[in-house]
Amino acid sequence: MSFPKKPGGKALDILQSLPRITLANLRPEPGSIKADKRLGRGQHGGNRSGRGHKGQRQRGHLPRLGFEGGHTPFYLSIPKYGYNEGHSLRPQYQPLSLKRLQYLIDLGRVDPTQPIDLTQLVNGRAVTVQPLKRDYGVQLVDEGADIFAAKINIEVQRASEGVIAAIERNGGVITTGFFDPISLGILIKPIPFFLRGQPIPKRMFPGEDMVPYYTAAENRGYLADPKKIQQARLALAQKYGYILPDISKDELYHMLSMRKDVRQIFFGLAPGWVVNMPEKKILKPTDEKLLKYYSS
Amino acid sequence: MAASMLCVRTSMFFRTLKGISGSKTLLSANPQTLLLQTASYNPKPLKRNLQGPYIPDKDSEKTPEWQKTPRFDRKLFGRYGSASGIDPTSLWPNHEQLERIIEEENQWHPPLEVMLKNLREKERKDTEKRLAKEKLIAANMAKMPKMVAEWRKEKLQTKMKLKEEKTRRTKLLAEARESLGQTLDPRNHKFLEMVADLEKEEKKKQKLMKRRLKQEQAAVPLAPPPAST
Repeated sequence: MSFPKKPGGKALDILQSLPRITLANLRPEPGSIKADKRLGRGQHGGNRSGRGHKGQRQRGHLPRLGFEGGHTPFYLSIPKYGYNEGHSLRPQYQPLSLKRLQYLIDLGRVDPTQPIDLTQLVNGRAVTVQPLKRDYGVQLVDEGADIFAAKINIEVQRASEGVIAAIERNGGVITTGFFDPISLGILIKPIPFFLRGQPIPKRMFPGEDMVPYYTAAENRGYLADPKKIQQARLALAQKYGYILPDISKDELYHMLSMRKDVRQIFFGLAPGWVVNMPEKKILKPTDEKLLKYYSS
Repeated sequence: MAASMLCVRTSMFFRTLKGISGSKTLLSANPQTLLLQTASYNPKPLKRNLQGPYIPDKDSEKTPEWQKTPRFDRKLFGRYGSASGIDPTSLWPNHEQLERIIEEENQWHPPLEVMLKNLREKERKDTEKRLAKEKLIAANMAKMPKMVAEWRKEKLQTKMKLKEEKTRRTKLLAEARESLGQTLDPRNHKFLEMVADLEKEEKKKQKLMKRRLKQEQAAVPLAPPPAST
């Protein structure tokens, strides 16, 4: 019997001598493709193609969905009630737990030394946001609030009280901000937008139903008064029993105090600017009417 | 852009493949004879000019309509920058378009102050409604003990009335039995007539009593004036 001299020698040889595997030289495994069964050919032409004689078996027609053979079906016998009314129009927020966020930070997929917004989360594959499916952003969920240890400046769309407490206990900052579907689409995919050569639009205000949430200091809303937010931070620290770290003496104070303008979509980019990706330039409008429109 | 890059890469790859298949003898000289499979077709040349940016000719009829739109111009600028030859001022809306945008925004996006005002107004109305309701409930609850007492009294009265009626009826029956005999069916029409007669008499009596009472009452206040004069 002959043994190969090196283990894997043959495979290594092939790997070294053959070209790189690409779509052009891949083919299915031999035997993995089975030819379709061709029914009713040749001498069996006028026959029933192996389906028996007449009826449901031959024609393959099934009773309609939910039909119970003559009973009053379940979906008709149970009365409907408006628990799910308007479910197809309700705004959705993709959940992101603090545990997962900590994991992403530990792996370096999300950079805590920079302000984190939806762009960073989407780029780190923390969430997938689909504005066309009525996603309005992310919600932070307090799973893993007890192990969360990062100091971050994060902007999300919804956050529970436990999450706010967990982030502020570590000396971080959290803001809840609203993005209308168009701004959201731009925020989650900036580069395709920049390649469209359009000026960055203004971020619209939330509708009247969402204004109370984003003006409330308890939710750290972006429309709330900063003084009230400071009060709410202290109140929450008292409620959860931790000492609120003083951010103003922090070495990351500049990063932690960064906040977007009410009309701003990206950090550092104002509405009305055009980002020229191939030449790495920013074009700003000079027309007074445009400036007035974009600054209002 | 990515697709074009891919095409370039595949064509390069095929060039290398050709080289490999040319040196087949070299490979077959290897100790283990390898079954070498090579793609053996030449890719068609792409009928595109991939060297410079593609700028559509706007005057040509062959250019599709959608490539002559300002939207596509913006896209070209976004993709190639100033090499696209697009005037950067055309990236922003002109004055007419801007006016239309502003008009639309005024129609569909009320300013924050208006929304807050509406919310406050709504809240005020809600609290007013709630307070009115609470006031009404409190007022009605204050009336409650009196109403309960009245209801109890009424109930007692009806009970007493029913009892009275029952005793009267039994009394009438007993009277009738005395006059018509013991074996009397209460459904007998003779008996029923008699009962009706008795009731009529009683009513007459009561009426008389009432009249007398009234007369007496009328007489009492009438009597003093002549006494005083």
